[in-house]
Amino acid sequence: MQYILDYVAAAILGAALLLIILNANDTSAESHSLYNGDALVQEILVQTVFLLEGELRNMGVGVPENQGCILRADTSTIWFLYDIDRNAIPDTVRYYSGSVDEFAPTPNELDRPLYRKVNSEKSLVVGSVTIFRFRYLTRLGQALSTPVVAGQLSEIHSVEITMEVQNPYAMSRSEKQVGAGERNALYSSSIWQQTRLASQNNRR
Amino acid sequence: MSNHTILTIGAFILLTSILLGFYQLLGSTGDDISNAQDLILATTIATSYIELAQGLAFDEFTDTTSAAIGNPSALTPAYKLGSDTGEDSLALFNDFDDLNGLVIEKLATGANKRFTTAFTVCYVDPENVDVPVTSQTFLKRLDLKTWRSFPPLSRSGSLDTLRLSIGLGYFHFD
Repeated sequence: MQYILDYVAAAILGAALLLIILNANDTSAESHSLYNGDALVQEILVQTVFLLEGELRNMGVGVPENQGCILRADTSTIWFLYDIDRNAIPDTVRYYSGSVDEFAPTPNELDRPLYRKVNSEKSLVVGSVTIFRFRYLTRLGQALSTPVVAGQLSEIHSVEITMEVQNPYAMSRSEKQVGAGERNALYSSSIWQQTRLASQNNRR
Repeated sequence: MSNHTILTIGAFILLTSILLGFYQLLGSTGDDISNAQDLILATTIATSYIELAQGLAFDEFTDTTSAAIGNPSALTPAYKLGSDTGEDSLALFNDFDDLNGLVIEKLATGANKRFTTAFTVCYVDPENVDVPVTSQTFLKRLDLKTWRSFPPLSRSGSLDTLRLSIGLGYFHFD
């Protein structure tokens, strides 16, 4: 009788252990995907911002003082001048976001390419973003309406960037897990919030 | 209770403690990732303020005159560093030391998190920028501390404070 009880107890405990291990395995896999996605997205965001911030900081370098350095300013695009190769001829640099259709092959339906274009060269994809927005502020902190009209370009004192990066590949969820109005997958996301880049060279 | 049962219970306890460690590790990894995101937000906020500070005049006196200053004693005394009368918001600040003593809380866009930034401005020895001095010099240092103030820190967690400093020197083109 004692043996039977032992076997039953061992079977119950064994089953419990098996369930716990299976559950832990699931949690581990889910967490690994999520954390890996988070870390990746943070890295992509910082790298993209590093490039963008560096270029915006150089805005106006090598541009004659009587010439404006922002050529066009809109919500998701900016054209500005700076002498990239120090040949005394200012280059036109443009940053803009593409459309979501261009990244249609990725499961994330919100991501879009971020382009950098120099003069008439071919545009290069320098990142993937889900939000890419500029706001242009005057010296008194007032936001200019976009697109900024040519007569107001010289009033731009600082540029405010809002940029969000999401993982193009997500962790899918079952239908039961998806709440009303939610997306069917979990996308890691990281946001670079309202960095004001008051270009030193722009304040002349 | 037979030896088999005791052995099984022992194994169960062992596995449970391993699992606890495992979940603790998962939790701490999640905290690290979340802290990294907080620090990204804190960096954006702190660098925004630094950009703002770099666009200000060196001193109240140099903001209102285009004449070169040869003697630092003409500058604002160290004990008077801070915002001037009528300058009660960032948009109205016109010189670097107006930020001294300011504490601002800001809501991070896209996240229900608030970050507080505290500012300190002092004169520093141009030969050694780490040393604050009580007399006027041609070099000021701004120290910022930014931390997440909401949601508050959980009892067991830890919170990082981002500290940044920049120096601004006086210069004049004749």
